[in-house]
Amino acid sequence: MSDHCNGAKDKLVTLGARRPPAPPQDYWTSPDELHHGPALRGEFPGGLPEIPAAAIHLPASGEPATAGAAPDGHNHDHEDHDHDHDGGDPDAGIGRRDFLTLMGFGVGAASLAACRAPEQRAIPLPVAAEDMIAGVPNYYATTCGGCASACSLLVKQRDGRPIKIEGNDVSELFGGATCATGQATVLSLYDNERLRGPLWQGQPAAWAEIDEHVTSALAAAAGKPGKIVLVSSTITSPSLRDIVARWGRAFPSFHHVVYDPISASALRLASAQAFGRAIIPHYAFDRARVIVGLDADFLGTWLSPVEFARAYARGRRPDGPTTLHVQFEPGMSVTGSNADRRIPTAPSELGAIAAALLARIARRAGEPEVAAAADPVDPTILDSVAGELWNHRGASLVVAGGNDAALQLVVHTINRLLGNIGHTVDLDRPSLQRQGDDGAMTALVEEMQRGEVHAVILHGVNPAYDYLDGPGFMKALARVALSVSTTDRRDETAAAVHAVCPDHHFLEAWGDAEPIAGYLSLSQPTIAPLFETRAFADSLLRWIDAPGDYYSFLRDYWRTQVMPRQSALATFDAFWDHTLERGVLDLGPPTTPSGAVASADPAGSDWRAAVSELRDESQRAAGTEGRTDGHFELALYESVAMRDGRNANNPWLLELPDPITKITWGNVAELAPSTADKLGLRDGDIVTITAAGGAIEVPVFSQPGQHPRTISVALGYGRTQVGKAGNGVGVNAFPLTRLVRGTRRAWADGATITATGQRDKLATTQSHFSMEGRPIVLETTREELGHAERPEALPNLWNERPAGERSWGMTIDLDACTGCSACVIACQAENNVPVVGKDQIQRQRSMHWIRIDRYYSGSEDNPQSVHQPMMCQHCGHAPCETVCPVLATTTSSEGLNQQVYNRCIGTRYCANNCPYKVRRFNWYNYTTGNHSDYHMANPVGRLVLNPDVTVRSRGVMEKCSLCVQRIHVAKNTAVKRGEPMQDGEIKTACQQVCPTDAIRFGDLNDPKSQVAQRMHDQRTYRVLEDLGTRPNVAYLKKVRHGQTT
Amino acid sequence: MRSNVLVATFPHVDGLLKAVRQARREMLRVYDVFTPFPVHGLDEAMGIRHTRLPKITLIAGLTGLVFALSLQFYANVLDWPLNVGGKPDNTTLAFIPISFELTVLFAGLTTVAAFLLRTKLFPGKQPWLPAPGVTDDVFAIVIRKPTADETYQRALALLKDCGAAHITESEADL
Amino acid sequence: MDKLPEGVIEPRWIAGSPTLGQVTADIARPMEGKPGKLWYVLFAIALLGLLDLLGMATYLIANGIGVWGLNNSVGWAFDITNFVFWIGIGHAGTLISAILLLFRQKWRTSINRSAEAMTIFAVMCAGLFPLLHMGRPWDAFFIFPYVPNQHGPLWVNFRSPLVWDVFAISTYFTISLVFWFLGLVPDFATLRDRAIGKIKKLVFGVLSLGWNGSHRTWSRYEIVSLVLAGLATPLVLSVHSIVSMDFATSLLPGWHATIFPPYFVAGAIYSGFGMVLTLLILTRQSMNLQRYITMRHLDSMAKVLLLTGSIVSYAYATEFFSAWYGGNIYERYHFINRATGPYAFGFYLMVLCNVLAPQLFWFKRIRNHVGALFAVSILVNIGMWFERFIIIVVSLHRAFLPSGWGMFYPTLVDIGILVGSFGLFFTLFLLFIRYMPMIAIWEVKGVVTDQQHMAHPSAETIGTAGAAGIPAPAGAAGMEHHHAE
Repeated sequence: MSDHCNGAKDKLVTLGARRPPAPPQDYWTSPDELHHGPALRGEFPGGLPEIPAAAIHLPASGEPATAGAAPDGHNHDHEDHDHDHDGGDPDAGIGRRDFLTLMGFGVGAASLAACRAPEQRAIPLPVAAEDMIAGVPNYYATTCGGCASACSLLVKQRDGRPIKIEGNDVSELFGGATCATGQATVLSLYDNERLRGPLWQGQPAAWAEIDEHVTSALAAAAGKPGKIVLVSSTITSPSLRDIVARWGRAFPSFHHVVYDPISASALRLASAQAFGRAIIPHYAFDRARVIVGLDADFLGTWLSPVEFARAYARGRRPDGPTTLHVQFEPGMSVTGSNADRRIPTAPSELGAIAAALLARIARRAGEPEVAAAADPVDPTILDSVAGELWNHRGASLVVAGGNDAALQLVVHTINRLLGNIGHTVDLDRPSLQRQGDDGAMTALVEEMQRGEVHAVILHGVNPAYDYLDGPGFMKALARVALSVSTTDRRDETAAAVHAVCPDHHFLEAWGDAEPIAGYLSLSQPTIAPLFETRAFADSLLRWIDAPGDYYSFLRDYWRTQVMPRQSALATFDAFWDHTLERGVLDLGPPTTPSGAVASADPAGSDWRAAVSELRDESQRAAGTEGRTDGHFELALYESVAMRDGRNANNPWLLELPDPITKITWGNVAELAPSTADKLGLRDGDIVTITAAGGAIEVPVFSQPGQHPRTISVALGYGRTQVGKAGNGVGVNAFPLTRLVRGTRRAWADGATITATGQRDKLATTQSHFSMEGRPIVLETTREELGHAERPEALPNLWNERPAGERSWGMTIDLDACTGCSACVIACQAENNVPVVGKDQIQRQRSMHWIRIDRYYSGSEDNPQSVHQPMMCQHCGHAPCETVCPVLATTTSSEGLNQQVYNRCIGTRYCANNCPYKVRRFNWYNYTTGNHSDYHMANPVGRLVLNPDVTVRSRGVMEKCSLCVQRIHVAKNTAVKRGEPMQDGEIKTACQQVCPTDAIRFGDLNDPKSQVAQRMHDQRTYRVLEDLGTRPNVAYLKKVRHGQTT
Repeated sequence: MRSNVLVATFPHVDGLLKAVRQARREMLRVYDVFTPFPVHGLDEAMGIRHTRLPKITLIAGLTGLVFALSLQFYANVLDWPLNVGGKPDNTTLAFIPISFELTVLFAGLTTVAAFLLRTKLFPGKQPWLPAPGVTDDVFAIVIRKPTADETYQRALALLKDCGAAHITESEADL
Repeated sequence: MDKLPEGVIEPRWIAGSPTLGQVTADIARPMEGKPGKLWYVLFAIALLGLLDLLGMATYLIANGIGVWGLNNSVGWAFDITNFVFWIGIGHAGTLISAILLLFRQKWRTSINRSAEAMTIFAVMCAGLFPLLHMGRPWDAFFIFPYVPNQHGPLWVNFRSPLVWDVFAISTYFTISLVFWFLGLVPDFATLRDRAIGKIKKLVFGVLSLGWNGSHRTWSRYEIVSLVLAGLATPLVLSVHSIVSMDFATSLLPGWHATIFPPYFVAGAIYSGFGMVLTLLILTRQSMNLQRYITMRHLDSMAKVLLLTGSIVSYAYATEFFSAWYGGNIYERYHFINRATGPYAFGFYLMVLCNVLAPQLFWFKRIRNHVGALFAVSILVNIGMWFERFIIIVVSLHRAFLPSGWGMFYPTLVDIGILVGSFGLFFTLFLLFIRYMPMIAIWEVKGVVTDQQHMAHPSAETIGTAGAAGIPAPAGAAGMEHHHAE
């Protein structure tokens, strides 16, 4: 074992120094632990490649955590045998041996990872390798691969297994925050349906063999005229882009096509026209006092939602300056639900609205008159919006989501005329997060059809599923001599390629990223590859037989390209270690100044042509079928849970309630309630929606705030070859997109809707959207804020019990919460919350410990919405406790309402008596696969389980514990440190992930703690306070920001 | 000790009562009377003193009450004080229902037990039946057989007058 | 004086004037002869129900509570509804034997035995559900206070109404059982002495504890009966009060109501008498005991139904009034939802059965019409089941936070277990009327003897017979009657 350890010592840079290491848990210090090493060598004789096998052959085990939870959530593995019939899982009787084997796998993976490729230059850990104690988590900085936003992450690695993803709070862009997708990516790592190794012609093959085939084919291609094409999704990695460049040098006929199914192609085209550079500007929402969104869901999915949400919240603090956010959009989006003013708008009208705004602003700016279209919405609204924008010149921001060059050009122009360039719109440090080029992709398909392409390498793309003409693409692909895919599974596209060369999951790989120009971040492996996969970059290097592997290439790249651009650290090793530890590096603006760009000459861009284009279009739409009865405009959108569908086999995301519709496990056709009534459609009626691109069958859902003439359908669903969980969930709407003016358009007019007569029971987690006039979410206005008197606390019916040393409490700022739902997944990952599946959700048995209640107020046509995270309120006078017959739930000396799984017999009396309905019952054993066959039911998926948290068995009640396991870790650390715990040292999973910092947690006994401060905020109130439950979780009222007419 | 007895059976309850009263007036020793159902007036006729069973009920009931209260107090206050819904450890009001139930349980069971002991009734006991049918439709009176012949004759006469159907001699330990 | 005072109608609780021997023979007949076809038919059906219960319960325990239609908002539905329903049924028996005993209602003598049996069986059915409804029934013993183990102190929560239930119901069951058995002992003796078969002799011999009708025993026996009756009376009232506290002590609108204890007790007696009526009508037809269970009995029970039904109706009204008058928005919404929400049909069914149906009993012609009585008694059972369903499910499915609102739809297992519980109940009851004296022989003999003395009064006083034999003051209430000496 010793050599392993040394290996480990010389491997990864841990952030242990920055994050206090957790104390050893009991079962790590148990005697068996001593024999871990030998056991390991026996466990994995063949070294790394054995690991997957080992993983697969592990006996079923939800036990790593099932091993006992005392009330405080601490593990007592030595009491295992009691727990087998007590708290433990009665059906799957798992002994400690299997459990240790499993742990063994984890540790093995880590140590073996350590001795892989010893020739790699070793990096001494700032924290000694002895610190790699089983049971003590290490934190590694890396970069998220969940989407192209490339957020900076901190990965919690426990015994060699990454088990939790957290944001990297060193990053100025993303802070400690992540999105739901980012949180869920750790589960994709343990997806049991990932390929175990490469395939040739659909058959498992050795890498050498694959390389043989590929290189020879490429060599053959080099001679011929046929092109060699790399089709990849956006590549944010500068080093990888450099390798691609080398390919260009290696093969004269090489082309790189960047293909994003949901692209910002038009934005880049428009920038090219307006500013002379095909870039995506970097938007600064925090500097904007007036934000106008034209169907841009920048808090949910657009470009870089985490960063934007953080900035948005920073700019809208109730104590800060007044801000105004106006959103024009067809269907209700996360962003729209947070807007001060939301105007339902048909997609075809968005262009006209942009034009109308431009016309008004141009007039003010003294530009020659612009002949805009007739105002599609109430002109007074447009007047006031334009007025607000103009009054905040340089501190306003207009963004549009539509993928239409003319629209984007008009929006650019508006921002330019408002003098926002350089203030809220940064061109010097553009975003590199979505570089897809729709035109190039279509061109490629045509070339392939014409047989002009000899070899295609598909990286991170799945056109068979998400290209607007999937079948067409596949036909074309069949004419290519060599097709290679690097997908991690035999997806729709990979099913038909010659070679499948599975890429690492990003948590297994080295890498770097540059989401924003000059803003770099590094990726380092947090676990040895589970399966026989190979980094895509390595494959590329191998196939042009470049020397060395990607790791050394990466270092060389950074030595030569990045190192020189900074001066802080002299030696490369120091620089490398430092950056790897921090994970992020801000090089500042690129040296090539784009001052010229900032002052781009308007005449240079023919935005007037764009205006007339938009005008004609909206008039055409107005004239023709678009506005006539029975015809609708179909708006396809990127959903928070599924995004572009690449994570469609991730059960966490499949079961994540959509922030707006609250629907899980599938997409729906969202109709305005009025429209649904007119068509006589009820929720769940399956309809056929026909548009130019084709037809889909999808259940109806009447969505308040939906534009009456539009239908919204989420993209990313309807995968057919992604895996057990994701196959056939929802319908694929990508085929309904069209190519218009060289860019891919996600809306279509002239859509018709016809009922099929079938019904589908929607799997929704919230069926009632009105607050019924009850004091649940309280609102206030900035005007009120100054002079609001605090209501006096209700009297206590009994004598106060002696206060504990600490009193944990939480505050949730309803004004900051955007409803993005990242906390839901974070909690699920941290607390081993099972996925229960569509059937159980249909039966209203969702298991999420934290849910986000969303209420509407006002008219159904255009309601105001509020999001309210709701979890156990940890009442001082908890109704659930009094009624429990067996004392399975009591209040701890520190004010936590704790659930004792071992003792619970499942009378459900507590849940009945809980006014907040936050208790969750294990109706079945959700870990065996008999009733919900997801990650907990297979040995690979189980590796994601958090050993600090009990896996609950059938028949017991569970609920939010305020992450009691984190509290204990922090306590023990403080004890070891010898100094008291600092405020903010403990962050609950939901708090940690929150992009808008809406959640605060801490000790109420410490008057200086953030949470105690907030408890005395004049906005603070408790839900259902008048019941006398005295919750320790308090809410801060939603503030309605400066309203316009 | 076994003793010789006279057993007289009656078809009807009236004769029985008359017989009992007169027999005692005649200073005859009436051991016991056997009837298919409880006949009233017999207590006075036979001069049976009131039973003390109700006192036992009371004592047992009080015992149950004290036991219940102390059990709950011990568990919640002394042995395992927990913060349950922020309520005080000693929530006496909440202890009342159980205290009541245990009172009733103790009282009831003890009374029945005492009754069975006192009347020596137990499963498998072989009953001594003075005459066939005393559990059906026959009423029987059991008198100690007078040793003096003259009293013996008077007893027979008396029983006959009261309408005894049969008069038999027998032995019994009573 | 030899004549009754003027205007005292002389009641006859037993038709004709059978001799004591006849009484024994009549009541023992079902046990000695073969029962009628009807009995076999009913028994076959009941047995099917029992099998269904066993099957469903096995399936439930094997898979988990998930096989029921429950969900995050509705944590209790059929399970606790059935529990309360059966406990309610279980009230009439002890009430008849205990309270009517104390009030010296002699009409109870013909029916108390079967009513008590019904109580025992109903409580057995009820006891089933707290067990079945647990997520982990194999840990059910957690709910009893037992000696702390290696986990250190480990007590139950004496503040939880569920624990009160455990004590209340086990006490109630024990006392009822003892009371019932004690009442059977003299009859066992009677049967022992007329039994021909060896086994019968042996069995009844053991059960009769060597009873020989000694008056010294009789006199203590009656005191004990009185004491038990005195204990059982408050017990009956306490049991359903405590059951009602499962709801009353919670804070849920629709549950959190102070009128629950009396309201539930009235409801329990109402449903209990409804079930007694059903059973008696069935048995007197199937076992031709019309002579002992007369129209007068049915008539008096109809009157009790009318009374308790009216009390229940009053409680319903009170609930709505206090919801409106109290002005608590949650409470108010709950009752609007009860009358207009998705489960309104259940509410109106409940009103029809529990408020309107018993009002028919104002009319003597209906009280004396067996068919009508039977029909109404069935309605009462249905109505009372729905009352509990409404209270439990409608309160749960739309509580405080609208985000947590949901619906409950029963599954086949839900229904199967409900039906199965009836199977268990009727199997036990049918076995009882087949193999045990379903009418208290010795008590009836007392009544018969009295009636004969009414017919040919003699100089001798015969005290009232039956366990009700306390020397009664002149002019005692109700059906009480006796001669002045």
